[in-house]
Amino acid sequence: MTRTLLLLFCRKELRDLRTNRRIWPGYLMLPVIGVLLPLGLILLFPAVMDPARPIDDPGLRLLLESLQRDHTIHGATFVERLTRLVVRESGLWYLLMPVVLAAGSAALAIVREKEQRTLEPILATPLSDGALVLSKLVGAVGPALLWTWVSAIAGYAVVAVATLIRLGIAIGPTAGNLVGLLFLGPAIAVAAALAAIAASARFTDSQSANLFAGLVIVPITLILLAVLGRPAMIWPWVGFGGTALVSLGCAGLYRRARRRLQRDELLTRWR
Amino acid sequence: MIAAHLLSRSFDGRPAVEEVSFLVPPGKLCALLGPNGAGKTTIVRMLLGLLPPSGGSAEVAGVHLPSSRDQAASLRARAGLLTETPGFYDRLSGAENLDFFGRLYGIPDRELAARTESWLRRLGLWDARDRAFGTYSKGMKQRLALIRAVFHEPAVVFLDEPTAGLDPAAAREVRSLIAELRQEGRTILLCTHHLGEADELADLVGILQRRLLTFGALADLTASTGKIAIRVRGDVARLGPVAESVPGVRGVSIDHDRLELDAEDVEMVTPAAVAKLAAAGGSILEVRPVRTSLETIYLRAVAGAP
Repeated sequence: MTRTLLLLFCRKELRDLRTNRRIWPGYLMLPVIGVLLPLGLILLFPAVMDPARPIDDPGLRLLLESLQRDHTIHGATFVERLTRLVVRESGLWYLLMPVVLAAGSAALAIVREKEQRTLEPILATPLSDGALVLSKLVGAVGPALLWTWVSAIAGYAVVAVATLIRLGIAIGPTAGNLVGLLFLGPAIAVAAALAAIAASARFTDSQSANLFAGLVIVPITLILLAVLGRPAMIWPWVGFGGTALVSLGCAGLYRRARRRLQRDELLTRWR
Repeated sequence: MIAAHLLSRSFDGRPAVEEVSFLVPPGKLCALLGPNGAGKTTIVRMLLGLLPPSGGSAEVAGVHLPSSRDQAASLRARAGLLTETPGFYDRLSGAENLDFFGRLYGIPDRELAARTESWLRRLGLWDARDRAFGTYSKGMKQRLALIRAVFHEPAVVFLDEPTAGLDPAAAREVRSLIAELRQEGRTILLCTHHLGEADELADLVGILQRRLLTFGALADLTASTGKIAIRVRGDVARLGPVAESVPGVRGVSIDHDRLELDAEDVEMVTPAAVAKLAAAGGSILEVRPVRTSLETIYLRAVAGAP
């Protein structure tokens, strides 16, 4: 299978994204939140928290205690430690972004072809079942990752400038953040997209596919993110281990998606 | 060549196609006629390797079916399909759509642009190449779909209801393009329920209603009925008995200016009848053998089907 073939659907999705203005707000909102959330916390959070003041809120107390125990940010001032914590934890957003975007796009991968009546012409080409799954996967995950990485670069750059202004030092992403951004996030996005593609083959309308992605696939991957994502932000090896684990799951999901995307299945089991 | 041998397919135990056998030699156009749900699309899907048959076998463009996945893929590279609905991406332009499908068919990069331009020009879509497909008229959409079906130069082309939903002018255009493809020597299987389309284009005709009810060369199916129709100007009532007196004529019926002669041997009777009618003062306007219409054959076949 040539690289051209794999990138074909990706290019088409990108062209589609470029021309479909209705989905722009969704795509723009995610990176804006990715920038505004840590920025707001960096600028406001330390200012409203006085470590000398007695804390009634147990959640806040727990956070501060964990901050004291966290050896990775030991030795810094309270405000710097809090800022580093905020920057590190905000990396979770960039794990979530590709999952949401890829799952949403993958959920429509097959069902939209059915709605547009382009599925049968595609199936009538020499494209193999496996190539169809991989092309659809790249088409869904590629733009999502691209957008996430562009957003992360912009987001971390803004945060670095803000911390430079606020604290006099530019605080960037941690090693865990980078492992999450480059490995764990993409792996979970691939898993979510494969599950969504397999599901998409069973649906006949976009609404059902979207609902399934929103109510089943994204919540399940959120649990995965909660279990693996947070420790991965602190310890990079958790990120690598999680990536390996999720990749194993991806192999199973790929086989399932491939079964679902067999031509006779697609053409005879529309429901 | 397309050869089907006892091809069958059922869905959840319900038969959609039963023991269909036919042969379309290379370069011939076969029209498969049948009402909605007769199994035409299922046959096309089986012959393209998209659906495995429940029974029977086939050979299309040198590939035997049922086949392995690799063989099915190589068959699809050698065959083209025009579906009932064009099936393109509305937001992409006509040229972008062709580029996308051309790559799926594995047309080499260096040839793709040249072929796309040549076909778009040939089918009068060159000026609209950069317009979004969604803005095309129905006729333009179907012409673009026809390009997709043939621009990888397949030996066999399947056309599933190519003129469905088109206005008469657009349908005419598509029919003339199909005629051109046939002249280029491609083997074509045309699924339609437009009898006129089959009459105009087909070498072979099959009538399908789950089973193949009739199959044969169009010329054979619509062969002479043993009757001659002669249009004359003159006193038709007086010319009727004149025609009846020609040796070999069993009977004559009169309809306005038309005499229909029931002849024992059409080729023997026709010159004699024409000469006698002319000698009796009739001006001969038209002489032709009466053939069974495709409509009659179709209705007879479908009415007799279980």
